[in-house]
Amino acid sequence: MKIIGHSYINPRGAFLNGQNVSIATEENYLKKYFSELEIDYPKFYKMDLLSKGSFLGDYLLRDSYKDLLHVENELQFIFANSSSSKETDIRFIESYEIKKNPSPSLFVYTLPNILTGELAIKHKWFGENIFFILTKFDSNFFIDQIEMSFLRGNEYCLCGWVEMKGAPEDECFMFLVAKSEVVNDNLSNKLNEILNTYRNE
Amino acid sequence: MKCYLKYGAIISPLGDSVEEHYSAFFENKSGIKKEEKTGFNAENLFLAKIEGLGNSRYDTLLKQACEKLIENYSSSFLQNPKTGIIVSTTKANLAAIPLDTFESTRKIIDEIIHTFSEPVIISNACISGVLAVNTAADYIQSGKFNQVIIIGIDALSDFIIYGFQSLFALSNEACRPFDKERKGISLGEACGILVMKNTPDEDFNVEVLGGASSNDANHISGPSRTGEGLYRAINKTLERSEVSKEEIDFISAHGTATLYNDEMEAIAFSRLGLCHIPTNSFKGYFGHTLGAAGIIEIIMCMVSMEKNVLFKSIGYSEIGTTETLNIISENRKMEVNTVLKTASGFGGGNAAVLLKCIQ
Repeated sequence: MKIIGHSYINPRGAFLNGQNVSIATEENYLKKYFSELEIDYPKFYKMDLLSKGSFLGDYLLRDSYKDLLHVENELQFIFANSSSSKETDIRFIESYEIKKNPSPSLFVYTLPNILTGELAIKHKWFGENIFFILTKFDSNFFIDQIEMSFLRGNEYCLCGWVEMKGAPEDECFMFLVAKSEVVNDNLSNKLNEILNTYRNE
Repeated sequence: MKCYLKYGAIISPLGDSVEEHYSAFFENKSGIKKEEKTGFNAENLFLAKIEGLGNSRYDTLLKQACEKLIENYSSSFLQNPKTGIIVSTTKANLAAIPLDTFESTRKIIDEIIHTFSEPVIISNACISGVLAVNTAADYIQSGKFNQVIIIGIDALSDFIIYGFQSLFALSNEACRPFDKERKGISLGEACGILVMKNTPDEDFNVEVLGGASSNDANHISGPSRTGEGLYRAINKTLERSEVSKEEIDFISAHGTATLYNDEMEAIAFSRLGLCHIPTNSFKGYFGHTLGAAGIIEIIMCMVSMEKNVLFKSIGYSEIGTTETLNIISENRKMEVNTVLKTASGFGGGNAAVLLKCIQ
């Protein structure tokens, strides 16, 4: 397998394949990145933080998708985080406990895998999808899942570690992996290196 | 490498053992009943609620199910380094908010089952249970584990009840999957545990032939009008299993009893030429138990295979989908060898798995 692209978003900057593409200082950094990228997708404003972050991380990777526009079924989403949809969960609880009006538009985002639905809709990808809850980013875990996905017949995996709860340590790390004959024993180390470099930017 | 499923444990309003569930299902007893003043505006709702769980419903239920599991499996089996563990849950312990809602899951499993490896938690809405079984099969086939414990669990909470109420998705009577008069979901709570092994036992075994998932790529909370994702998930499952649709004896559908979900499933089954196959939804017995649904419904599929009986789809009397399905209206004695289990959920997810009974 080989990594054909990676992106990273946090409250300080947006990055593509190791290169800084935007810097933010404002609180609403996701909105800033969205307007800078000049994307015509009004639905973005309705999304929760998890979906917004992964939508932008995915958009940054658009050049990596060029060769797989024909793919409908053989691209799997493998996403994970540690806090599920906690930010939206808290806001939904407030909608019925404080505002006394349970909000259906918040409730639908109280599942972390909604972000994979948003990406599938955007790209018309009908592939497999799965969302895991892990205590922390675990490159070996992702590599295992990708290997098993390729064994099942998939050709690509769009993976993401999306920890977005409105905190300074929020981050959205995404990487696109293709099945290939090249045996790369150090892919797990490489993923850790990429993420650590981003985190230290 | 082949994968075989064994019963682990099951707790629902209908009992806390497979035998009790078999008796309840044989008598077509439903776990759903009217619960006074449980709605957001103190409405009386129809829920499948377990008695005696107290305030920390999720934690208590998980502990009870883990205790049942260790009665039936040795510690050397459960604590083996080649034993993996997967948990399927949508919300886990919501009572912990704003703290970590998943922490108690890891702690309870560590204290009671004491597995060598950390639990892998899958939170992928209502298809989590079927995905968990398919992921367990991947683990066994890759050789990473020789056996995998698969737990499916969700507990009732104001959060879930008010959420589904806000979507106008709840029924004002016990749910009636696929029926003409269906009005929506009845929510439930349950915990089911399956054990997957790479070697068959001498007695009854259920082999996992293959599985797949597919996204509708259509809407985050509404089912696809063409059943696209479910159609593709089942197609991929049949291909991977190398099973022809003629071999399927029974379909355990998702069947939430909302107008749109059941209609979507009927369209997908029709496109696949599966309408004549005996089909039911177990939601009339358990209600919709979210992360537990796939697991407890697979347990009941295994009971159908073991006892050679197809269970009536409770709440059904007249077909209410544009495509006519063969919904099971009375319990029926029949040899049940090959079963298709499907699930669909928010986020556009669909999943399927094919099971085969090896006696």
